Amino acid sequence: MAGQHRRKAARILATATAALTVAALAGCAGGSGEVNSDYGFATADQEDGSTITVWVDAAREPVAKAFEEANPDVPISIETYDGNAGGSGSFQTKVALFDQSGEGWPDVVFSTQTNDASWAAKETNGVQAFAAPLNKGYFSDDFLAGFTDGANDPMTVDGSVYGLRNDLAPVVLWYNQKLLDEFGYEIPTTWEEYEAMGEKLAAEHPGYILGSIGDSFVGTYVYYWGAQAPIFALDGNTFSSDFDDPHSVAMTELLDGMAANGTLVQDSVFSAPFVENYSDKIVAMPGPAWYAGALFQNPDSVNAEPGTFGAADPLYWEGEDEVTGNVGGGVWYASSHSKNLDAVETFLEFATSSEESAELNSGLPAYDEAASTWLDAQAESAFFAGDFKAAVQKAAGSVWGGWGFPSFSPETAYAAVVVPALAEGKTIADVVPEWQEQILNEAQVQGYTVE
Amino acid sequence: MSASERLTVKTDAPRGSRSLTPGPGRWIGRVLAWSVIGVFLLFFVVPIAWLILAPTKTARQLLLDNPFSFGGFETLAANWGELMAFQNGIVWVWLGNATLYTGVALVITLVVSIPAGYALAMVEFRFRRALLVTTLIVMLIPNTALVLPIFLELSALKLVGTPLSVILPFSFFPFGVYLTYIYFSTAVSRDLLNAARIDGAGEFRVFAQVAMPLATPVIALVGFFSLVGNWNNYFLPFVMVPGRKSPIQVGLAELLSNVPLFNPTTAGSVTISLPVLALATILSVAPVLVIFLFSQRFLVSGLTAGGTKE
Amino acid sequence: MPAIYAVVLAFTKNGAFVGIDNFVKVFADYRFWPAVQHVALFVAIWLVSLTLLVVLLALLVHAIRVRWLSSASRFLFYIPGALAGASSVMLWLFLLDPAVSPVAGILQLFGFETFVQTVSIDNLPVIFTLIAFWAGAGGWIIIMYGALNNIPVEVMEAARIDGAGPIGTAWHIQIPLMRKWISYMAVMSLAAGTQLFVEPRVLSQASKGVVPPDYSLNQLAYLFAFRQNDFNGSAAISLLLLVVAAGLSALFVFRGGLFERE
Repeated sequence: MAGQHRRKAARILATATAALTVAALAGCAGGSGEVNSDYGFATADQEDGSTITVWVDAAREPVAKAFEEANPDVPISIETYDGNAGGSGSFQTKVALFDQSGEGWPDVVFSTQTNDASWAAKETNGVQAFAAPLNKGYFSDDFLAGFTDGANDPMTVDGSVYGLRNDLAPVVLWYNQKLLDEFGYEIPTTWEEYEAMGEKLAAEHPGYILGSIGDSFVGTYVYYWGAQAPIFALDGNTFSSDFDDPHSVAMTELLDGMAANGTLVQDSVFSAPFVENYSDKIVAMPGPAWYAGALFQNPDSVNAEPGTFGAADPLYWEGEDEVTGNVGGGVWYASSHSKNLDAVETFLEFATSSEESAELNSGLPAYDEAASTWLDAQAESAFFAGDFKAAVQKAAGSVWGGWGFPSFSPETAYAAVVVPALAEGKTIADVVPEWQEQILNEAQVQGYTVE
Repeated sequence: MSASERLTVKTDAPRGSRSLTPGPGRWIGRVLAWSVIGVFLLFFVVPIAWLILAPTKTARQLLLDNPFSFGGFETLAANWGELMAFQNGIVWVWLGNATLYTGVALVITLVVSIPAGYALAMVEFRFRRALLVTTLIVMLIPNTALVLPIFLELSALKLVGTPLSVILPFSFFPFGVYLTYIYFSTAVSRDLLNAARIDGAGEFRVFAQVAMPLATPVIALVGFFSLVGNWNNYFLPFVMVPGRKSPIQVGLAELLSNVPLFNPTTAGSVTISLPVLALATILSVAPVLVIFLFSQRFLVSGLTAGGTKE
Repeated sequence: MPAIYAVVLAFTKNGAFVGIDNFVKVFADYRFWPAVQHVALFVAIWLVSLTLLVVLLALLVHAIRVRWLSSASRFLFYIPGALAGASSVMLWLFLLDPAVSPVAGILQLFGFETFVQTVSIDNLPVIFTLIAFWAGAGGWIIIMYGALNNIPVEVMEAARIDGAGPIGTAWHIQIPLMRKWISYMAVMSLAAGTQLFVEPRVLSQASKGVVPPDYSLNQLAYLFAFRQNDFNGSAAISLLLLVVAAGLSALFVFRGGLFERE
């Protein structure tokens, strides 16, 4: 019993101390941070040679290890975590706690999501934004200019770049050369041709497909983003979702039409029925560049014969800008609380632009030079038909800039509203009002002004 | 231990005599009882059977073959190899961490909650009821609400990131205090303890020499539940300790994030397939099940050692 | 104690006292009331089925006289309890998908053809009850089994001599003697039920969002704290949950005589 009492006393004491510490920290974090003109933000006191802590996911660990080997003089501690995987929110959760305690932040973080700048670039509860702005004196303009056009847009807030893109995932059009030859079809280049092909295919060769709408990342990023549909737009702090825009309406009609004639299926591309029924029935399918490894070359998935599939330029509306969507791509962030910003800079330059990084990157590198090296290596394997490198490069440079990166994901609303509705046999047009409401609701609770 | 033996021995005799004259009603009852047990056994076991078979297949077989088919030992070996290759066998580090955290927490929990529960049940003092209510309320508080305060506490003590930041909260186990309390207040006779007191034993000796030996079943129970609860706790270690200090549950979540199905945006860098994940799952569960098998005797040998209660 | 800090958080904002502002904000949140309904429905189904089935199964297992059979069935009942969190995500993803499920027949019997249909929002309370029961019942069955062993053999013998059948014994002797344990289980499961978190989180992950990430109140509290950086709103939800749970458990505590010592 005495033990119990003593424990309680200790806890109360600890809480009191904690409360005081928080109060003290809140006091100083709010007021005294002076902007360091060399960097463009309030830096912590620098300690030369102090260890930098780097958070990476399992796939990025090799790059960090390579850095450690190449720079033995830079003390680094590598911690792996789940990479902020979709829905886990690890990165934000942990930073929120460090913000509250006023210490413990990592120096560099890799995140597999593209929208973290939405919160990491903001001051929260009086604590300086976690992500350091990188283009206000910290990194050289030369280096930053080396990234593919638009690659760092998702992390750019009011002209400040808060993160460096690791890899790009632009949407291209995948096609099955053998099936196209067999049916006598041409590779479609516009959404209109794609839609027409759907009707023709359904009539002539029922059972063959042109894609899937059962994955929320496909519905949103591949189709609506690629169609320039402004259903997920952010301007400053104002969020809007316009389903009446002609682009949105046209895409909804296209999807409903093709779902009705059976050329778009509802199975997730990662699901058993998709692999079982459609592996050899995909005539063409718009999708991100990483479908290469995840589906076509994956022995557990589609497992295509070399030379069967190829990547073509992304689809666009006839007579309009040739743009496309994007599905993911990781980002590196530097902490504004870091005590060794020099080491952080060295690390990030290595991780994004070095030759080693190009070799180790599993996706298409966002840094131009590295991307070129990477694409050459891919092209050498000659797995894909057609000009793989040219198609991917074109897509990478033409991602539509009208899509927003708020602190929530468009996938949630699609998964919660559209996917179940499709399963019930409704059309997307049927649930557009509900879907839009869901998106706007989410925006509202995240603190955006909704238009 | 002795109690359950006594039970089986005693009931053996009447069963022998009764089975000679089984009335039809009794038979129906029996069949009914067995079928209820059977249905629930299936309910509990079928998913597990599937899970155990999963690592013997490739990801493709897992999707396309019959759910209960057996893949092959080569595939199992290959999956094992893949799991071991993940960050150079970090899975063992995770298991080691989990063992450390839960083990130390277990010791502290037992040292604290057994005496505390005993005191609550036996000693009459002014705030007993208030303390019971408080303990209960603490158990009802949603964990999410406690994460921030605990984090701040430990952060103020400079413990975040150290094993202690996990072990200390793990050791706080009101559930155990409660179990002990109920056990002592229902199963242990106060007469027995009073007798010891009359014999001149001090309170401490009564506890150490009379109550403790009687408490074996509840110690096993508290220990076991503390162990399992902590072994499976995800959120606390997730926020407290980073990377290589993670216990197995946080590790599993990391594995999960490398499965393209759950994290499509990293699908370009496929590292973990579903059968490998299933294998890791089994590996993470195995220690708990082994401990369960060994402690089951104590767990259920009846919370009855108290003997003389009538 | 951390608990007190949480209460303080619920009534403040950035350190200043704001009265019930946090509560008003939470009530106005569009996700709040649906979550309340979800949790209430789940708790009702879960509590009733858990209590009935656990007591029934414990009695049945206890009635098995072949020793190894009894311990083997307890072991098998318990196994799922060892699985948690991430380990069960994958399991349920497969189990509930009629295309690959080992129990596909049963799912199709209910007319579910796809995973998305199976986890449609109306089915969720039942599914969560199944998951929670699957994972949690084993532990309780063992506790109840222990409590049954706790009943002196003489009492049972006496009942039998009086001519009571197994059902009569169970109803008149065993269950009343387990009263304290049953009410304890009710309180604990009530707490667990109102704090429903793991199951919807697991399914939300497995279904990639078709099961919404804000299904239960506790999940909502989590989202408030760690997605919106609003620890105050989060604490307000937690406090509400606590008050309701405490109120309901008070009922069990007094009916079950949990604080009385015989």
